[in-house]
Amino acid sequence: MSGTDWLSYSLQDFIMFGPQVFLRLFVRINQDVWPWSLLAVLIGIVVPLLLLNHRPLFRRVAMGLVSVAWVTSGYGFLVSYFGPINWPAQWFGWAFVVQGGLLGSAALFGGIRLSQRPSGRKADHWLAALWVVAVLGLPLLTVAQSGDWKALGLFGLAPGTTAVASMLVTGFLPGPWRWIYLVVPLLWSLFSAATYWVLQTWWLLGLPVATLIFTAIGLWLSPSRGQSRG
Amino acid sequence: MVLDRRKFLLGAGLTGLALGSPRLFAKSPASPGSSPIMRRIPGTSEAIPAIGMGTWITFNVGGDTTLVAQRTKVMKTFFELGGTLVDGSPMYGTASDVVGQGLASLNARDRVFAATKIWTGDESATRQEAQRSRSRWGVDRFDLLQVHNLLGWQGHLETLKAMKANGEVRYIGITTSHGRRHRECAQIMEREPIDFVQLTYNVLDREAEDRLLPLARERGIAVVVNRPFQGGSLFRRFASRPLPGWVGEAGVKNWAEFFLKYIVSHPAVTCAIPATTNVEHMKENMGALYGALPDSEQRQRLADYVRAL
Repeated sequence: MSGTDWLSYSLQDFIMFGPQVFLRLFVRINQDVWPWSLLAVLIGIVVPLLLLNHRPLFRRVAMGLVSVAWVTSGYGFLVSYFGPINWPAQWFGWAFVVQGGLLGSAALFGGIRLSQRPSGRKADHWLAALWVVAVLGLPLLTVAQSGDWKALGLFGLAPGTTAVASMLVTGFLPGPWRWIYLVVPLLWSLFSAATYWVLQTWWLLGLPVATLIFTAIGLWLSPSRGQSRG
Repeated sequence: MVLDRRKFLLGAGLTGLALGSPRLFAKSPASPGSSPIMRRIPGTSEAIPAIGMGTWITFNVGGDTTLVAQRTKVMKTFFELGGTLVDGSPMYGTASDVVGQGLASLNARDRVFAATKIWTGDESATRQEAQRSRSRWGVDRFDLLQVHNLLGWQGHLETLKAMKANGEVRYIGITTSHGRRHRECAQIMEREPIDFVQLTYNVLDREAEDRLLPLARERGIAVVVNRPFQGGSLFRRFASRPLPGWVGEAGVKNWAEFFLKYIVSHPAVTCAIPATTNVEHMKENMGALYGALPDSEQRQRLADYVRAL
C-alpha cells in the first residue's frame, strides 16, 4: 500500500463497531457481574477514606484496591468484552493489567510514599472529594449517552472511570514511577477520545478530558509538593 | 404516510418473493411483473438478486446475545424478502461469527450466497484464512472468496485460482472501497481470470463509472457494490429532503430505493450490498429488489437531483 493510500483512510475506517454495540458493553458487564457491581461501588467509596487515614497500612490497602480496579477493568471490560469487537482494546486491556500489577507491587514493596500526607489537610479533602465525584459522577456519562441506567460505567469495571479516579493517586508515587504510571492512562485517553469522536458519543468525551484534568490535579496534590523529597 | 409506504413495500416484496423463491412459497401462484430483480453472473447461467447484504460494522456485536438475536431477525427479513448474497470479511471483528449463528438458527445455509474475503498480509495463508471463515460461517464452502482491498493479492489470487479449479470455491474476486487503488484494480481485471470485483459506487461516489464499470462489462466480471449509502451519510444528508414527485416513474418509493436503484440500474452492476442493523431499514432496502428500475435518462436525473441538493 502506498503512502497516498494511507492518507485516504480516515479515523472512521478503523472503528468496526457502532455506538449501540459499545454502550451495550456496559450493560452486559454490569448484568454479568451483578451483584458484585455493588462491591465495586463500595470499594470506590472506601478508597478515599483509606487514603485520608495516614497510617501506612490503610494507604497500602487503598493502593491495593486501586491496583485491583486496574486489573478488573482491564481484563474484565477491555479484554473480555471490548476486545472481541475491537482488537486494540485487548492490548489496552493487558496494559491495564500490567498497570495494576505495577501499582500493586509498588504498594506492597514500599515504592509509595505511604506515610506522607498530601500537601496539607485541605489537599486531603480535595483529593477525597474529587475521588467521590469521579466514582459517583462519571459513571453517569454512559447512562446519559445510552439512556439506560443499566449502562453505569462503574469504578473497577469501566476503564474510563477507573482511569480518571486512579489519576488522583499519581502524586503518591515516587518520581520515576509517577511518569511510568501516566503512560497507559494518557494513551488510553487518546484512544478512547478518538473512538468516542468517531462514534459521536459526545457525553463520553468527558472521560478522557477528565483523565487529563485529574492527572494534573493528582500531580498538584503530590505529597512532595511544598515538602522535601526526603 | 410512511407506514403506508412500508406496508406497500412489504406487500410488493412478498409478492415478488412468491415468484422468486419457490422454496418459501412453493404453492403460491406466480404473478408477472413482481419478480425480484435478478442479475446474471457473467459467463454463467446463474443469476443472483440485485440486492445483497453487507455486514461491515453492523454485525460486529461480539458475544452480545441480545444483539445477535436482533441481527438474526435482520437476516431473516433479508432472506424472506428474496435476498441471497451476504458479504463479510475476517476484518469485521465478530461479524463472521454472528452471520454463522444467524445462518444456523435460520437454517439458511443452503439459501445463502456466501461471500467473504481473504484479509491477511501472509500470501501463503489463503487456505487457512478461508478455512477459518468457513468454520465461523458454518458453510461447507464459500460461493465467493475475494482478496480484501488487494492485500497480498498476487499470492492470494494464485491460491484462489487453484481452489476454484479444485471446486473449493465457486467464484473468486478482488475488492476495493472508498475509490482506492482503481488503477491497480483495473490492471488485475484486465490480466487475471477473476469472476467478481467489489468496489464503492453510489450516487455521489461515481469514479467507478469512468473505468472499472465499463471494464467489468467488457471483461465479463460481476460487480458487487459496497458503501451504497456512503456509510449512511447519504441518509444523514438527504433523508430530511423531499423526494421529487417524478421518481415514482423511475420505480422509486423512498430514499433507500432512490440510492439503491440508482446503483443496480447501472448495466455493469450485479449486486449492491447495503448494511443495516434495523429490520425496518432492511425492508426498505429490499424494496429496491422489486419494481421498475430507472432508465439511463432517469438515472441522470436522480444524480442531478442529489447534486442540486
